[in-house]
Amino acid sequence: MAENEEKRPLAEHEHKKVVRDGDAVLKQFDSTYPKANVFNEALNQVRVEETDLNLPHVRDVRQHDGEWTIVMDYIPGKTMAEKMEEDPEHAEDYIRQLVELQCEVHDHEAPDLLPSLREKMRRKLASGELPVDPSERYELQSRLDSMPRHKKLIHGDFEPRNIIYGEDGKMYIIDWSHASRGNASADAAKTYMVLMLQHGKDLADFYLNEFSQEAEIPKQLIQRWTPLMAASHLLRTNERHKEFLMGWLDVMEGQ
Amino acid sequence: MARKRKATVATQVIDSVDALEAKMVEMRKAQAEFAQFSQEQVDRIFEAAAAAAARQRIPLAVDAVKETGMGIAEDKVIKNHYASEYIYNKYKDEKTCGVIEEDTALGYKRVAEPLGIIGAVIPTTNPTSTAIFKTLICLKTRNAIIISPHPRAKDCTIEAARVVYEAAVAAGAPKNIVAWIDQPSLELTNALMKNVDTILATGGPGMVTSAYSSGRPAIGVGPGNVPAIIDETADIKMAVSSIVLSKTFDNGMICASEQSVTPVGEETYIAVKEEFKKRGGYFLTPEEIDKVRKTIVVNGNLNAKIVGQSAKTIANMAGFDVPDGTKILIGEVESVDPSEEFAHEKLSPVLAMYKADTFEEAISKAERLVEDGGYGHTSSLFIDPAQKDRLAKFYDAMKTCRVVINSPSSQGGIGDLYNFYLTPSLTLGCGSWGRNSVSANVGVKQLLNIKTVAERRENMLWFRVPEKVYFKQGCMPIALDELGTEMHKKRAFIVTDEFLFKNGYVAPVQEKLDQMGIVHTTFFQVQPDPTLGSAKQGAKEMRAFEPDVIIALGGGSAMDAAKIMWVLYEHPDADFQDMAMRFMDIRKRIYQFPKMGTKAYFVAIPTTAGTGSEMTPFAVITDESTGIKYPLADYQLLPNMAIVDVDNMMNQPPGLTAASGIDVLTHAIEAYASMMASPYTDGPAMIATKDTLESLPAAFEEGAKNLNARKKMANASCLAGMAFANAFLGVCHSMAHKLGAFHHLPHGVANAVLLVEVMKFNAASNPTKMGTFPQYEYPHTLQRYADLGRFCGIPGSTNQEVFDNFIKRIEELKERIGIKNTIQAYGISEQDFLAHLDEMTMLAFDDQCTGANPRYPLMSEIKHMYLVAYYGEGNIPADIDERIRQAMEKQDAETHEEE
Repeated sequence: MAENEEKRPLAEHEHKKVVRDGDAVLKQFDSTYPKANVFNEALNQVRVEETDLNLPHVRDVRQHDGEWTIVMDYIPGKTMAEKMEEDPEHAEDYIRQLVELQCEVHDHEAPDLLPSLREKMRRKLASGELPVDPSERYELQSRLDSMPRHKKLIHGDFEPRNIIYGEDGKMYIIDWSHASRGNASADAAKTYMVLMLQHGKDLADFYLNEFSQEAEIPKQLIQRWTPLMAASHLLRTNERHKEFLMGWLDVMEGQ
Repeated sequence: MARKRKATVATQVIDSVDALEAKMVEMRKAQAEFAQFSQEQVDRIFEAAAAAAARQRIPLAVDAVKETGMGIAEDKVIKNHYASEYIYNKYKDEKTCGVIEEDTALGYKRVAEPLGIIGAVIPTTNPTSTAIFKTLICLKTRNAIIISPHPRAKDCTIEAARVVYEAAVAAGAPKNIVAWIDQPSLELTNALMKNVDTILATGGPGMVTSAYSSGRPAIGVGPGNVPAIIDETADIKMAVSSIVLSKTFDNGMICASEQSVTPVGEETYIAVKEEFKKRGGYFLTPEEIDKVRKTIVVNGNLNAKIVGQSAKTIANMAGFDVPDGTKILIGEVESVDPSEEFAHEKLSPVLAMYKADTFEEAISKAERLVEDGGYGHTSSLFIDPAQKDRLAKFYDAMKTCRVVINSPSSQGGIGDLYNFYLTPSLTLGCGSWGRNSVSANVGVKQLLNIKTVAERRENMLWFRVPEKVYFKQGCMPIALDELGTEMHKKRAFIVTDEFLFKNGYVAPVQEKLDQMGIVHTTFFQVQPDPTLGSAKQGAKEMRAFEPDVIIALGGGSAMDAAKIMWVLYEHPDADFQDMAMRFMDIRKRIYQFPKMGTKAYFVAIPTTAGTGSEMTPFAVITDESTGIKYPLADYQLLPNMAIVDVDNMMNQPPGLTAASGIDVLTHAIEAYASMMASPYTDGPAMIATKDTLESLPAAFEEGAKNLNARKKMANASCLAGMAFANAFLGVCHSMAHKLGAFHHLPHGVANAVLLVEVMKFNAASNPTKMGTFPQYEYPHTLQRYADLGRFCGIPGSTNQEVFDNFIKRIEELKERIGIKNTIQAYGISEQDFLAHLDEMTMLAFDDQCTGANPRYPLMSEIKHMYLVAYYGEGNIPADIDERIRQAMEKQDAETHEEE
């Protein structure tokens, strides 16, 4: 039984599968996944390890049958998402803890060599796969250009599924594959969007208020990022969400 | 027609950075050619281009609505018409080429030059009118323009530019002077911004921020969020209809359009509401307000789909219907916080309405709305124009670059429609509040490099002396007579020193005053180097006595002390530190000297020859508590009357005759060599020099026995005073002042031991630095000294020879009247001198007299002159630096011991 539990996939995405292997977690990529991206993801995580934040450390990057695997620490414990599901009454309390932890991450200046959020966004907005018309693309690109240049440590997918209440009593942040150097308000806009899609408007709005107060960032500054986050998310989400997110895109700046 | 038109402009398509760069090469050539055009040529092109745009106003408007799906064609016709006709009318006679302003008397010209290539970012909201506007102002200023249209409006923007371009070329403009990006993308816009000479960006903050971060000069303007207040004194019918006109204009897409309205007080609120209902305003129910909120704003961002749509369309999008004829959707809301969707800029006929009990409350709401969405843009007030206080309160509070009163703000803000002083423009600057480089309505001014051609001009100079100068032996009682017979003075306050008082010098003055029945009192406690303490004492006595005339009798000390008492008497709060502040140009000094003479008339009667203080605007006073000397200089300190009567000078002792006589010579020579010397000061300076050289030895040696020598010296002193009162002095006096202060050498003697060294220093034909003064054309002081020498009869065939003989003559004079050769010879110890040398040097450099010296001295040069004057020429010890160091160390050690 223990054997079984340990081999159960912890998460599954399009090109990767995360499984537990004893006291380790294996992030297994399929053979189509570029080698450079695997090493890049491992490297980013290692860069964040240099901070004092609690996160699983990378142990190895290895290849087997043309497939790459990143091996890292297994953090025993439940995710915040799991706890929220078990205890929906206290969802807001969990969000408060999430906000506190997120602000702690933002308090860190990003390691210099971490990729820049702006550059990542720029590439995504230029992508031909983005389902927007030239006018919308132009608006989104000029909106991105006008954003202030910050150097904070950004997780990039900071949401309840990526927070683990460790059995040692500490809170751990996992999945640093989207980590970058950039703006706290962008990170918050992403969290807002994910909460909106997974938990609905009420909890997302609650989060936005809490974060705005805790981080002392006006809500409008966070909201200025929502069309950009929605655009970037369009590239890797399902049809239902796509339709919803398209409604966030067609916005215009003041004149 | 359209086909034919397109056939004439076979331009290469700009759809890549390469194509853009190639185009810009062509544009550079075109602009270089255009830059040579005359005003007449430019005006012809400007007129033709404006007329063409005006002719195409309707098709362009229709195209714009069709392409963008926003706005109202009929209103866009007005915008196109405005952008061509009003802009033409505003600038048709404006000079924009070559010399645009000239003043031959002041010697300056302003010459207008183009900036080069202007990169214009055009918004979707005004895609044709802004293109017309920017293209026209570029043509008027001989700039090339390349337009970056918005993808949503590219065809109509390009068409507008094409209309203007073709007409301009037909009227003679170079080909390629106007261009555009055919396939707009942000990549091309950014490439454009990096290659142009100035960016003219209108549109959203994203574009404007990019423009400002491009590294090129940018004129970018910010978004608006115009609050309108309707005061209780306003004409409500006019106010409401103005807002309806403005808010519905092109479906609310002008950035200066009202976004909220706040009537002041309950009665106004009711009346405004009724009036809005009558004029097509639809008041949303609370449920409808919620629906509209969700429709107009998505996550805090303006929904692009509602921009420029009609009230009915927006209502339908929100899921409800409104009656036909509805022009504006009005949401009555409370919050002015950005979390309230209605508090945003809406770019559509959707209006927020707030309530305010007082005018102040309405202002504070407006302030917040401006701050959160339209910093620096425009604000609007409807009010009875007689309510000046409220109006002022409003414009004081609004951080907006346009404050429009009793006008529809869309039309009011763009200028020249409801006020004819406000510049017509479709690019409205928001100043630093909106993080813009401009606060004005942008026009041709911002598109020109103005060269100012400044020709050398000389400063106006002056000649100022006391209004009355009386001289000749025995003139004193006659001159004093005026105080009674003409001026009817009642109370005289005499300032003198103890010696003169005890030796009967004051008696003739007192007798004369008695005869005229003028009450008088005498203050005779003036000391040499008068102190602030004694001046304060004198002023106190003056305040008690309340004189209407002050008579200073004595040498420089008595006259200076009397001047200070005069200041303290008339202006008891005067601050000496301020009054002694150094100036570069007495006319431009920071400190404004108080007006003198309102309480008392000032008469100066010298008893020595002399400081010339009777003629000068100067006085020196020492604060005995700190040891600080305050040299004051201002024409307010000029005596009103000077009486030069040799009878008062007959019995000067020889020592005083020598010291004050050599001071006269220094005054005359320094004033003659001064950068500020003029023929008006040269005359008196020349006579004073000549007479002093000739008569001082006799006056020194024979005293009262030689009346003629005394007379000459009396006049020379006064004439030298006249010269240096206007030409000022030089570095010899600067150094003498500090030598006197540090080592208590009499002023005249201090000048005497330095004069020759300073003259040699000034005579250099290649000084380290020459003085800065427009009249002073090149280092010519050797020539000046030689001219002065020749006037005094000093022989020599070259300037240098005359100068050398002049120096010899001065040395001889010094020797004859008992002036020693060096500072050392006056018993000043080497230790003491060297220990204070650096400090003395710095203070001498900073002395007010240094400014007029023809050679601007370095501190090291002043120090060297001090050393030569101390040891004698050629006698400075080789190890002088070491000696100075040791002297300073010793001094430091002694100071520490004392502590």
